[in-house]
Amino acid sequence: MTMATIERRAVLGLGGALAAGVTLAPGITLLAAPAERTEASAGRRWAMLIDSTQCTNSCTACTTACRKENNVPLFGEPSRDVHWIRKVELRDKDQRRPSVQVPVLCNHCENPPCVHVCPTEASFIRKDGIVLVDMHRCIGCRYCIIACPYKARSLVYHETRRTDESNPNVPIRSKGVVEKCTFCVHRLDDGQEPACVEACKKEGKGAMLFGDLNDPRSEIAKRVHTVATKTIRPDLGLKPRVYYQGL
Amino acid sequence: MLRFSSLVRFVLTVLPIAVGLLWLNPSLVMASDGQEHVPGALRLEMPAGKKECVKPTEWMRRNHMDFLKHNRDMAVREGVRVTSDSLKNCTTCHTSREKFCDRCHTYAGVAPNCFECHHYPK
Amino acid sequence: MIDEFAAIEGRSQGYWKLIAGMGLLLLLGAAAFIYIEVNGHGVTGMNNSVVWGLPHIFAISLLVMASGSLNLGSMSTIFAVKQFKQFGRFSAFLAIVLLAGGLTVLTLDLGRPDRMLLIMLHMNFRSMFTWNVFLYSGFTVLCFLYLWSMFQFPQFTKAAGSAAFAWRFVLTTGTGSIFGVIHAREVFHSAITAPTFVAVSLTSGTAMSILLLLASFRFTERELDRRLLFALRNALIFFLLLVLYLLIVEKFTKFYSPAFYDVESWILTGSYAWLYWGGVVLLGVLGPLAVLFNSNLGNQIGGIAFASGMVVLGLFCFVGFVLIAGQAYPMNMFPGYEAASIFQDGVEGSYAPTLVEFMLGLGGIGVSGLLYLLGIRFFRLLPKKATAPEGWDVAWHP
Repeated sequence: MTMATIERRAVLGLGGALAAGVTLAPGITLLAAPAERTEASAGRRWAMLIDSTQCTNSCTACTTACRKENNVPLFGEPSRDVHWIRKVELRDKDQRRPSVQVPVLCNHCENPPCVHVCPTEASFIRKDGIVLVDMHRCIGCRYCIIACPYKARSLVYHETRRTDESNPNVPIRSKGVVEKCTFCVHRLDDGQEPACVEACKKEGKGAMLFGDLNDPRSEIAKRVHTVATKTIRPDLGLKPRVYYQGL
Repeated sequence: MLRFSSLVRFVLTVLPIAVGLLWLNPSLVMASDGQEHVPGALRLEMPAGKKECVKPTEWMRRNHMDFLKHNRDMAVREGVRVTSDSLKNCTTCHTSREKFCDRCHTYAGVAPNCFECHHYPK
Repeated sequence: MIDEFAAIEGRSQGYWKLIAGMGLLLLLGAAAFIYIEVNGHGVTGMNNSVVWGLPHIFAISLLVMASGSLNLGSMSTIFAVKQFKQFGRFSAFLAIVLLAGGLTVLTLDLGRPDRMLLIMLHMNFRSMFTWNVFLYSGFTVLCFLYLWSMFQFPQFTKAAGSAAFAWRFVLTTGTGSIFGVIHAREVFHSAITAPTFVAVSLTSGTAMSILLLLASFRFTERELDRRLLFALRNALIFFLLLVLYLLIVEKFTKFYSPAFYDVESWILTGSYAWLYWGGVVLLGVLGPLAVLFNSNLGNQIGGIAFASGMVVLGLFCFVGFVLIAGQAYPMNMFPGYEAASIFQDGVEGSYAPTLVEFMLGLGGIGVSGLLYLLGIRFFRLLPKKATAPEGWDVAWHP
C-alpha cells in the first residue's frame, strides 16, 4: 500500500504538469489532442440539449451509434435488452398534435436518486457531473433501477460475448451488474463528443448538442440560457442535465 | 452457558487447524499440476526487444495488482487517465496473454477476472 | 408459573421428518442459488421493468414477520402481561430465526453475491440498504442479548427487551422505507408505506407465533392454555384493525387528489387489482377479521389458526403487491403524453415468476424452519406447559 501511495504521488506530479497544458485552453478543450495524463475537471458540467423539432421520426442514428460504441448488449428478449438511449414516441392524449419522437437517455441528474440509494457507492457522480456506475463495485442489488424515474438503467441478465464488431476500447459486461449511459466518458476524456451526438450531427439533422454548461462561451450554455427548454419530470427536483427544446 | 473456559477451548481448537491449513498452503496446492516443481522463478516469455517495464521488473512483479487496481479506481471514479499506466498499455509489449499473464496466474493460483470484460488484443 | 422450560426431546419420527422437509427446502434453495449464479438472472422471470421478484417477496415477508414475532416477548417485558413471560424466549429466538431466513434469500439474490462484503467497505449512508444492514445486524444482536438475559440475567431483561422493542419499530420502518422513500414509483411512494409495514409486521408476526406455538405444543403433547390463545386472538384483531385503518387512510388521501386518480384507479381496477382485493384486503385483513369476530369460529382453536394462516398468506400478498404492482406500473415520464418505445415506456411491466425463483424463496423458509427446529431441540425455549392463573380471563370474547 505504501509503495502504491508513493507511486501515485510520482504519477500525479508528472501528470499535473501535463494536465496544466491541457486545461490552458478552456472552451475548446473538448477537441484537445490526447494527452499522457487527463483528469476529470470539477469545474465542468457536461450537459446535453435535444432539439425535438430537429429529431426525425424514422432516424435511429443515435441509438445505433451508442450500441456500436459501447457494446450495449442485445439478448433478443425485448424485456431484457439493454438500451442506454432509446427513441420514445410521444402522443398527446387529446390526439390533436402529431406524435413526436425524442431520444431518452440517462439524465445525469444533479441529485441522482440512483446514487442516493446505492449501498456500495458503485453509482457515483464524477467531478464533472457525470453519473457513472463503477461496474467493479456493483453488487447487483437493482435498487437503483427501482429509484430511477427515467428507466435509464438495466441489469445485465445474461452472459455477453466479444465479437469482431465489438469496440475494443470499451469492456463487455459481466452478468449481474447494472449499467447505463456514461455520456461516453471514455470519449470525453479523449477529447471527443459522445457517440450519439456525433452520429446525430453526421447522419441526422444535428438535433443533439453537447457541451460544458459551466463554460459561458460554449454553444450549449448559450442555448440553454436563451431558448425555452424543458427537462423530464422537473417536479422531482433531480435537476437533470439533459434538456429538451420544442417539446 | 457461555463460559470463559469454553472460549479458551474454542481458541485452542481453532488455532491448530489454522496453523495446519497455513502449513499446507492451499494456494500452492491448488496451483500444483501434480508434478514435482523445481523451486525457483517461473520462466515467462518476456517482450522481445524491451528491457524494462514502466516500473522496475522486481517492483512490478510484487505490486502490479495494486498498481492496476489503484489506477483502475482512479480512472473510473476520478477520471484520471494515465496512458502509460493503463491496462491497455501493458498489452502493447506483453502481446500474449496466455504466455505472460495466465501462466503466472495459474502458477500462483490466482484468478483475476479483468479480461472477462476488458479486451486483450489478439 | 414459568420456572419450567424444557427443550423438546426431538427423537420422534415426526421431528426427523420435519427436519428432513426443511432440509430439503434448504437444498432446493441452495440448488436454485447456484443455478442462478451460473446462468445469470436471465433464468428468473425478472426483467428490466420488474427487477425485484419472488425471492424478494419471500425475503421481505420473512423480515417483516421477524420483527413482528417479537410481539409476545414485548407484551410481557414492556406491557407487563405476565402470562406471556413464558413465551419470551420463544419470541426472541423466532425473531432471529426468521431474520436469518429472510436475509439469506435477500443476499443470495444479488446479481453479484460474491461482492456482498463491499457494503461493509464502502458505505453510502444515504442508502436505505446501508441503513438496513445496521438495522438487521443490530436487531439480531439485541434479540440475542434479550434472549440471553432471559436465560441468565433476569435483571437485564427489561433493558434488553425495551431496546429490542424500540429497535424493531425502526427496523420495520427501515424495511418499509426501502419502498416509501422512492419518489419515482407512484404506487408505493408515501409516508404511510413504512407505518403500514410496521402494522403488517404486528399482524403477521403474531399470526406466525400463534401457528408455531399451536404446532409445537401439539406435536410435543404439551399443554397450552386456551385463554392465552384468546389473548393473542384479541391482540391480532387489534393489529388487523390498525392495518385496515392505515389502508383506508392511504386510499382516502390519495383519492382526494386528482393527481393520483390514474395510479389509484389502476391499483383498484388494473391488472394487479386481484392481488390487492383478493390478497391484501380479503386474505390479509377482512377475511381473518370476519373469522375472529365470529362468535363460533373466533372462540375455537381451529378458527384462530385458520385466521392466522390467512394473515400470514396475506402478508406475502401485501409484500408481493407492493413490489410487483409497484414496479409494473409504468413510469409517468411525460405527464399528459402517451409514451411508447422499444424499451417498454408507457407499458405495464410484466412478470412471470419461474420455478427457480420460487425454490430460492423456499430456501429462506428452509433456513428459518431448520433453525427453529434445531433451536427448540437444543435450547430450553418452550415452557413445559403454558398456563394462565386461575380465574384470569381475557377482557373480551366475540
